[in-house]
Order: sequence, then structure tokens, then C-alpha cells
Amino acid sequence: MSALIGIGAGIAVFTGIGAGIGIGIATSKATEAIARQPEAKSEMNKTLILGCALAEATAIYGLVIAFLIIFFSK
Amino acid sequence: MQDVASQLIEALGSKTVALPGLNGVQVPEFILTSWGIMALIMIMTLVFTRNLKVVPGKAQVVLEGIYLFIHNFLSDILGERGKRYIPYLGTVLLYLAVSNTIGLFGLTPPTKDLNTTAGLALMSIVLVEYAGIHEKGLRGYFKSFASPMPAMMPFNVLEIFIRPLSLCMRLFGNIFGGFVIMELIRLIVPVIIPLSFGFYFDVFDGLLQAYVFVFLTSLFMQEKLEA
Repeated sequence: MSALIGIGAGIAVFTGIGAGIGIGIATSKATEAIARQPEAKSEMNKTLILGCALAEATAIYGLVIAFLIIFFSK
Repeated sequence: MQDVASQLIEALGSKTVALPGLNGVQVPEFILTSWGIMALIMIMTLVFTRNLKVVPGKAQVVLEGIYLFIHNFLSDILGERGKRYIPYLGTVLLYLAVSNTIGLFGLTPPTKDLNTTAGLALMSIVLVEYAGIHEKGLRGYFKSFASPMPAMMPFNVLEIFIRPLSLCMRLFGNIFGGFVIMELIRLIVPVIIPLSFGFYFDVFDGLLQAYVFVFLTSLFMQEKLEA
């Protein structure tokens, strides 16, 4: 049973893949944008942080679900 | 391995402390830490705002720098009409910044517990909706649910519940996740290495999450003020 719980929690953390890809794309585009227009850097930083926070949330949900599976399935 | 797992689970559970002189009333540890942080911020505010001068000294320069950073950051987003909400949001920013980074000093951060973040998220959403009502009146507030078109209404209503949930879970998950990893590292290698990881998980991630929480709250608020 505990092996299955471990596998379930591991699967839940696969949400990290999406967040990683999302943050990667956002950061690469932000780097390009800043290289093209360095004067608008602060504005872009703000948008980038917002985007990263929203993308990262999915990974965090996965983490929370994994914790819930581990702690509440006994 | 089993030993590490049981130690980790013991470290993650929230402990309760008996208050002295109150017939052994049990108070969760994170509440005590939270009170300590509030007291610290209050005392520091009172100490540093005494004897303000026109020509600032060293401490006052730092103080003005922090104040200007918070004020500019929030007033850029909120605009002229949102100025009255800056003190609350600034307070939350200071509280979160201190409580997220307090893990560096060996204390458990209060935001590691779901109850703290849920409370903060509830306060945020109440203030966001209040800002909408205050700005447009009760009629205008309910009308704003049907914007940009009436078909969007279910989503706009759902947002009231999803936004605080997401705010709460994001903060909790980040701090709790960082806390778990820090405890793991501490159990395996107790010296030097936790410090270097602590600078990422406690300082960088903590400050970033404090920033993100207040940033998103003010963004939601600005949306209510404008639309």
C-alpha cells in the first residue's frame, strides 16, 4: 500500500513539467524582449514575475496534492 | 531511511505550546511566532519613526528607501483611486517578508501553516471586493459581474472563490515545499550546506512570494477599481 501511495504522490508532482516548460518559455521571450528594448526592462520584469507566479502555481498545486496524498492516506 | 522519514514527519507537524499563567491553554507554535513577528514590526516601526529629520540620517535613508519602494510599487499598479489601500497592502508585504525569511533564524515560518495563508487570502479577497463596492456602488458592483458580456457571469462569480484559493495555496505550497526541502537537507547534512540552500529557499523564494502575493492582490484590486 505504501508503495502505491509513493507512486501516486510521484505522479502528482509531474505537474512540474508543465510549470517548467511554461516558465522557460516566458523567460526566454522576456530575455529576447529585453535585448530588443532594454529601456522597458522594469515593465517586462513585472509581467515576467506575474507570468512565472501563475505558471508556477500549477507545480505548487501538484506539490500540495502530493503532500495531501502522503499525509492523509494512512 | 525509515529513520529519516519519521524524523521528517515529526519536524513537519505543527507543535503546540502551553501558555504560562493561562491554565495551560494550548496555542499552536506558528501563532506565537506570528505574534512575535507582529511585535517586532510594531517596535521597529515605533523606534525608527521617532525623531524624523528633514536632513535624514543613515537609518532614515534606509527607512525612506523601503517606504518609497513599497509606495511606488503599489501606487504604480493601483493608480490614484487605489491610494487608500496602500497602507494595508504595505503592511501585508512587510509581514510576509519577515515571516517568510524567519526560517533563516531557525524558527518555523508562520506561512508554513495553511491557516495563516488562508486568513491572509480571505482578508485580501474581502478587501478586493470591498474596493469594488466602494468604487462603483452596490449596483455597479453587481453589474460588473456581467462584463464584458452576460455569458461571462459564471466565470466572474467563480473568480471570487478561485482567487483566494489560488493565493492561499501558492503561498502555502511554496513555503511548505521550501521548508520540507530544508528539513531534509538539515537531516542529511546538518552543517554549512543548509545555510547556502537557506539563502535560496528562505530569503530569495520567501521575498519573491511575499512580493507575488501583494502584487496579485493589488492587481485584482486594480481590476475591480477600473472595470
